[in-house]
Amino acid sequence: MTTGYPLLRSLQISFYNWSVVPTQVSKFIGLDNYIRALGDEQFWTGMVNAAVYLLLTVPATVAIGLFFATLLHARMPARALFRVLFYIPVVTSWVVVSLLFKYLFTTNDGAVNWFLTDFLHLTSESIPWLEQRWTALIAISALGVWKSVGWCLVVFLAALSGVREELYEAAALDGANAWQRFLHVTVPGIRGTLLFVLVLQVIGAFNVFPSVLLMTNGGPAGSTEVPLTYMYKQAFSFLDFGYGSAMSFILAIFIFVISFLQFRFFGEKKEVGS
Amino acid sequence: MKRTAVLLPAVALAIAMGLSGCDIGGSAAPAADVEQLAPGADVTGSIIFWHGYGEDGAEVKTLTDVVIPAFEKLHPGVTVTPVQIPPGDMHQKLVTAAAAGSLPDIIRADIVTVPELAKLGTLVPLSQAMPDFQDFADTMYPGPLETNRYGDDYWGLPLDTNTKVVIYSEQGLEADGLDAVPATLDELKDAAENSKDGTYAFAEGGAGGWNLLPYIWSNGGDITDPDYTTADGYLNGPKSVEAIQMLVDLYKDGKLPGIILGGTGTGTWDGVPSGEYVSMVDGPWAMPVLQGAHPEVDFKTAPMFSGDGGSIGVVGGEDLVLTSQSENKPLAAEFLRYMLSKDAQLAMGEVGQLSAQSTLADDMSNLQPYYADFLTQLETAKPRPVTPQWAKIDDIFAKQIQLAFQGTISVQDALDEAVAQIDPLLAQG
Repeated sequence: MTTGYPLLRSLQISFYNWSVVPTQVSKFIGLDNYIRALGDEQFWTGMVNAAVYLLLTVPATVAIGLFFATLLHARMPARALFRVLFYIPVVTSWVVVSLLFKYLFTTNDGAVNWFLTDFLHLTSESIPWLEQRWTALIAISALGVWKSVGWCLVVFLAALSGVREELYEAAALDGANAWQRFLHVTVPGIRGTLLFVLVLQVIGAFNVFPSVLLMTNGGPAGSTEVPLTYMYKQAFSFLDFGYGSAMSFILAIFIFVISFLQFRFFGEKKEVGS
Repeated sequence: MKRTAVLLPAVALAIAMGLSGCDIGGSAAPAADVEQLAPGADVTGSIIFWHGYGEDGAEVKTLTDVVIPAFEKLHPGVTVTPVQIPPGDMHQKLVTAAAAGSLPDIIRADIVTVPELAKLGTLVPLSQAMPDFQDFADTMYPGPLETNRYGDDYWGLPLDTNTKVVIYSEQGLEADGLDAVPATLDELKDAAENSKDGTYAFAEGGAGGWNLLPYIWSNGGDITDPDYTTADGYLNGPKSVEAIQMLVDLYKDGKLPGIILGGTGTGTWDGVPSGEYVSMVDGPWAMPVLQGAHPEVDFKTAPMFSGDGGSIGVVGGEDLVLTSQSENKPLAAEFLRYMLSKDAQLAMGEVGQLSAQSTLADDMSNLQPYYADFLTQLETAKPRPVTPQWAKIDDIFAKQIQLAFQGTISVQDALDEAVAQIDPLLAQG
């Protein structure tokens, strides 16, 4: 009931020119909201931005998370401390860190520009990070990676402890070096978890919201809008709940298909070699 | 098996709901005659008052410790329960409450939300319900009063108002080698083009209507016709284009800071005190904050830069509205009258709330000398188009102007496109 009702209700709303107030007529318009979304340039800009965000964040997050998980899995001093340090970004508030990153990427006095110009001398001009589409997406993605690496790391750590020690010993006896052991023992051993993390990260990338809302609010000129900020604006700023709902269903179907494909291509292969 | 068990009824229901294709809602009884709310009625009971006064400031304290107790003393036995809602959450809160039928009795609403709430049918048409409406209306500055008009009625009365003027400092003028702050748009352009390296004659923190309409109006342009039915020939007219073109040219020459694109950079409240920006256009709330933070700087005000259209500011502020859901409208109306009384207006004036009643201008200036320039500006200040579609229109306006700033399209093309998108919205009313 608790998940079903809101879901069905918003499905219903998506077929209407919905009026917020129940005393006013909500006009049935069939698939008009869906057709409008499919032809809405701004919606597709949002989808492309989400896809770019996905490419910039997901591989990096998974790679960094897996790298440090492997390091921390080995017996090393202050392991617990490092685990906590990596997990801190995960539990911090999106609002606080989004504003923090916004200041880091400030054009004139931001720390990132200072680092690039005055410290590394890579460029003499300050980069207007949040004032153009691609640089803004890089800044937003940097926050995304920083925020989710810890979560990936913890999940990978749990998975790593499930890989049998004997396999490593056997591989070592066969003369495999560290990289080969990682590739042929660790990766197959955590394949299930890897897929799980990948699917959730991809879903998360398409649902990126507070960081964009707070760092650029979709601007300038709608160029950094992502699906959720655009839907939110349609529903809560413009009271166009029908249109917002229709877009959310298009996005949901899209994510469902992507996730399905991921399972299809990466999921069932572990039986093959065994 | 399990999946189909869930999916089948869901799909069936969706088809039943969706494809049945009937309109829903609108079940309320047809609007009865508007309940008359005569002044001086015998009031009892209690009401709830939503407002967005600054939580930690003196405003809430004055409201709860001075204004409401005084009203309750005048009408023994009645209770007014104020509920503070952070201004950023107000719109969403109002929408949710309107949908759920749980609006309070009386609201201090941002001026731009009044036509939207009126269109939703959630407000009492005060010009019909209050026999003394015109008496109040006559005391108000025209700009703030206009923000309450939707259709043939007025749905609220201005509780407080503000507008923006030029704010600068002597130190800033000196740093940029200027004798005086620019008075006209031409002088502004001149000063901006000749400003020293590292300083700017002025800065704007955004490209929405709140920021840029004063430049368009002062230059003699407009955004729509006076009845908000079309933007064609107004927003894309020569005077509007010229005003935006001037800003775009300055931006491209590096003479207008990039914060106008909503990105990051020195904010105006930091740039003006430091002398990086000679001037900014901002509201009365900036003055106490700036003076408090930078006691060594002498902040001054001047009228909005003038042009062929005069010196025209943009109206801000809040209106008081009564909800049609209220079960105690006589008390809510009586409280509204008290909030507009001289006592309450002066009490709130002491903590920074400018009265929208031109009849109280002298009293207001006596409270705070810096109010004077804002009050003069208010005499001609205009509201952003008073239409339920404003949020969408503002979004289109800002987006097209940002594209022009980025150089993607010309100013004329940007404003033509904006008009093409805005006119269908205005047609919906």
